[in-house]
Amino acid sequence: MKEKEKEKQSLKVVIVGNGKVGFSLAEQLVKEKYDVTIVDMREDSLRRASDALDIMSIRGNGVSAATLADAGAAEADLLVAATNSDEVNMVCCLTAKHMGAKFTIARIRNPEYSMGLNDLKKDLGIDMIINPENATAIEISRLLRFPSAANIETFCRGRVELMGFRIQEGDFMAGKPLYDLSDQVKRLSLLFCAVDREGEVTIPNGSFVPQVGDKLYLVGRPASLDQFFRLLGRYTPKVKDVFIAGGGKVSLYLAAILEKMRMRVKIVEISEERCRHISETFPHTTVICGDGTDQELLESERMSAADAFVALTDRDEDNLIISLYAMQQGVQKVVAKSNRQNYAGIARAVGLDSVISPKLITAAQILQVVRGMQNSQGSVMNTFYRIADGSAEAMEFTVRDTTRHLRTPLKDLHLKNGILLAVIMRGREIIIPEGSSYIQEGDSVILISRGWRILDLNDIYEEEIPMPSAASLNGRG
Amino acid sequence: MNIKLVLKVLGRVELVVAASMALPLACALLYGEDIAPFLWSIAIILCVSLPLSFLPTHSSFFLREGFATVGLIWLFTGVAGGLPFFFNGGGGFNTIWDCIFEASSGFTTTGATILTDIESLPKGILLWRAFTHWLGGMGILVLATALLPSMGVRSHYLAQAESPGPVFSKLVPKQSQTSKILYSIYCVMTAVEVALLKLAGMPFYDALVHAFSTAGTGGFSNRAASVGAYDSAVIDLIIGVFCLLFSINFALYFLVLQRRIWEALKSDELRFFLVVVALATVAIAVDILPQYGSILQSLRYSFFQVASIISTTGFATADYVLWPQTSQYILILLMFCGACAGSTGGGVKCSRMLILLRTIRREIHQIAHPRSVEVVRLEGKVVDENTLRSVLTFIGCYVLILLGAGLIVSLDDVSFSVSFSAALTCLSNVGPGLQEIGPVGSFAEFSPLSKVVLSVTMIAGRLELFPILVLFSRRTWSRS
Repeated sequence: MKEKEKEKQSLKVVIVGNGKVGFSLAEQLVKEKYDVTIVDMREDSLRRASDALDIMSIRGNGVSAATLADAGAAEADLLVAATNSDEVNMVCCLTAKHMGAKFTIARIRNPEYSMGLNDLKKDLGIDMIINPENATAIEISRLLRFPSAANIETFCRGRVELMGFRIQEGDFMAGKPLYDLSDQVKRLSLLFCAVDREGEVTIPNGSFVPQVGDKLYLVGRPASLDQFFRLLGRYTPKVKDVFIAGGGKVSLYLAAILEKMRMRVKIVEISEERCRHISETFPHTTVICGDGTDQELLESERMSAADAFVALTDRDEDNLIISLYAMQQGVQKVVAKSNRQNYAGIARAVGLDSVISPKLITAAQILQVVRGMQNSQGSVMNTFYRIADGSAEAMEFTVRDTTRHLRTPLKDLHLKNGILLAVIMRGREIIIPEGSSYIQEGDSVILISRGWRILDLNDIYEEEIPMPSAASLNGRG
Repeated sequence: MNIKLVLKVLGRVELVVAASMALPLACALLYGEDIAPFLWSIAIILCVSLPLSFLPTHSSFFLREGFATVGLIWLFTGVAGGLPFFFNGGGGFNTIWDCIFEASSGFTTTGATILTDIESLPKGILLWRAFTHWLGGMGILVLATALLPSMGVRSHYLAQAESPGPVFSKLVPKQSQTSKILYSIYCVMTAVEVALLKLAGMPFYDALVHAFSTAGTGGFSNRAASVGAYDSAVIDLIIGVFCLLFSINFALYFLVLQRRIWEALKSDELRFFLVVVALATVAIAVDILPQYGSILQSLRYSFFQVASIISTTGFATADYVLWPQTSQYILILLMFCGACAGSTGGGVKCSRMLILLRTIRREIHQIAHPRSVEVVRLEGKVVDENTLRSVLTFIGCYVLILLGAGLIVSLDDVSFSVSFSAALTCLSNVGPGLQEIGPVGSFAEFSPLSKVVLSVTMIAGRLELFPILVLFSRRTWSRS
C-alpha cells in the first residue's frame, strides 16, 4: 500500500487553463494525491486555486515553451490543455509533447474542428481529445432515450446499463425489504447496487428497506431495466418532442444526436444571429428566437406538450428555475445543466433528478485516463463513472491472467467493505453474480466502489483481516 | 456613370455582332442569294461601332456601369440585328419596327414573329434569324468576354447582369475561362442536335436552323408550320428532349464533366423542373386525349408542347389554341414558371419559384411560431436574406411589368387573352401566345407602339428586368 502511495506521488500532472474543467479536475487529482501544477494567465484565478488546493501554480501563457518548461511539462506524465481557446490547447499539446510530456489531453470544443481532428490528432501531439459539450450532449441524449431513469450509464457498448431512479410515494418497493420483492422482479436480471439516502451512499443488501425519497441505482440488461420500470408503473413512452432552452454548443451537439434519433427538436435561443446559425445547421429543428426563461414564450410555444424539456442556458440558476417550471407544467422528463454541485443538491431536494454537469463529466473522463495510466500492467479499466454525486464509482474492468483468485466462487472471496461485484460479462452472457459465481480470464466485470480508489482489479480483495464482506452477503435484487 | 466606357464596350460588342453576320452571309453566298442586305448591315454597324470601340476612357467600371452597359447593348443589338431584315424586306418585314421586333425576338430567344409568309424569305435571312437565337441564348456578352478577355472592364459585372438566375456564380476562377467552358458545352450540344436531326431525316439546312433555335430556346423555324411541318415522332422527340436539355442549368453539365454526376442529379431545381414537366405532360395528355384518340399520340403532342413551352422555346407541333381550355391554362402557367437558372431559357426560373414556395411555407410556419427563426434553403445551401428579398422583388416586379405591358398592348383593342398572353410570352421569351397570336398566328397586326413595347419587354425578360430598369433611373445616369 505504501509503495502505491509513492507511485501516486510520482505521477505529475500539468493542467493548463484554470477554468471550470481545469479547476474541478485539479480538485479531484489533489484529492487523489497527484502532483498537480496549474498554468494560467490570470493571477487572481491562480491565487484562488492555490488557496483552495495543494498545488503549484505558474503564471504564463500555455503556448509559451518557457512557461511549459517552468511548469515541468518535460517530465509530466500527463498534460491537460483546457484553456478557453481550442487553438491554444492544440499548440500547447504540440509543444508539451515535443518537450517530452508522456500523455497529452486537449479540450477541443469547436464542432468545426471535431470533424477532421481525429486524423490530425497524432500530428498535433494530442493523445486524447475531450469535448465537454459533446460528452454532455451524449449523456443527455441517453437520458432522453430512457426517460424513466434519473441518470444512466452504459457498460460494455450498451449491453449493460446502470440507472438511478428515485422511489416515489406509492411505489411497491417502498417500505419493504429487498428480499421480499415479488418473484416477477426477482426473475429479472438486475441488481440494486447502490442507494443514496439524503446524501449518504450505501451498498444495499437483501434486508435493505427502501424508503420514499431514496435514490436507488440498478444495474442490468437494458431490457430487464425496461421491464422493471414497467412493473413499477413508471414506464414512460418514448420521447418524441424535445424542447431545449438555450442554443449553446451543447444544444447544437444534442440537436445533432436527437435529429439522428428522429426526435422533433425545438430550440429557444435569445440571440437572433445564433438562431440563424442553428437553423442553418439543422433544417428539421424548429428554432424560436426569444428568452428561454420567459414563461409566456414557453407557454405560447406549448412547452407543456413536449415529452422532454432540457434547460441548457448559460446560467445555472435559470436552468434550474425553468426546469422546475417545466416539471410543474407536467413535462414528463426534465433535464437541467448545472455546473455548480451545490445547486444540483437543491434541485434534487425538490424532485429534479436529472441534473447534468459538463464539468464533472469531463473531469470523470480525464480521471479514467489517469487511473488507467497507473495500472497499465494489471487489469484494464474500460469504463469509469461516478455516481451519486461522486460518492461512489462504477467501473468496468477486463479480467487478465494477472488477476488473483480466478475461478474462486464469490462466497469464498473476501472483498473490501464497500466494494460490490455487480455484473460479470462472459462473452455474450450477462451474469448477475451469486455466491457460486466466479470470474475467469477474459471476463468483463462491473464494480461498484464506495470510498475506495480502485486502480486494479486486484485492489478489490481484502488482504489483511479475512472477514465476510458486504458484497458476498448482498442479496439479489 | 462612366458613359464613355459604356459606349466603348458597346462598340466592341457590336463588332462581335457584325462579325457573326459572316455566317448567314456565307450561307447566302452558298445558295446564290442576294448578299447586299448583310453587307449593308455590316458596313453600318462598323461605321458606328469602330469609332466607339477606340474611345479613350478611364477604367472605373462597377456594377452600375455593368448593368447599364448590358441594357444598352441589348437594345442596340435589337436594332443592329434587324438591319439585314430591313434591307431585305418582304415576307412581312414592312416597317423598321417589324425588323426591330423580329431581331429582339431573335436575340432574346423569344421566337415571336411578325412574319406572315416565312417560306418566301431567302435562306440566308432565315438562318440569321435562327442564329440570333443561338447568340442570344448563351449571351452576346458572355461570347464577347470569351472572345475578348481584355475589354478593359471587370467582365464579371457584365456576365452577372446577363446571366439568368437569382445567384450568379462562376464555374472557374476566371470569367473568360468560365465563358469559354459555357460556350464549349453549348457548341457541343448544338452539334450533337444537328447530327441527330440530320439522322432523323431533316435536311442539313433545316437541322441547323432548328438546332440553333432549340439551343437558344428561341423557337424560330424556317417552316410556317414550325416543327409540325415534318410530322415525325422522332424529330418531335429529339427537339423536345433537347429543349429540356438546354433549359437545365449549365453548371450541372460542368459537374457532369467533372464526374460529379450524383451531385448534379441531386439538384433541387433540376428535380423541381422535371417534376413540373412530368406533371404537366400527364395532365395535358389526359386533357387532350379525346382529340387525339390514342394515348401515345396525345402523350407525343403533350410532351413536345410542354417541353417547348417550359423551356420557353415556343416550337409547335400542334395548334394548341384548339386544345381544351385547361391545357391552355397549364401552358400559360408553364410560361410564367420558365426554365432553370443558368440555362438559355427564360421565365421567372424554377429556382425562384422554389424559393418563393419555400418562403411561403416559412411564412405559414411563422404564424404557428411567431418568433421562430427559419432559413430558406436551395440546393442544400442557405439562401441569405438579401437574395431572398431580391428574388421576391423580382417576382413582384415581373408581375407588374407583365400587367403594365399587357395594358399597353390592350390599346390595340384586342381580347384580354391576346393582350395578356402577348405580354407574358414576350416577357418570358416563349414566342406564341393564345388565340390570334397562337403557334400558327403572328404579331404582324399589332401597332408600332405595341411592337416597340413588346420588344423592350422581351429584352427586359431576357436580362431579368434590372439591367433594363436601371436605364430608367435618374441615379444611373448621374455623375455622382
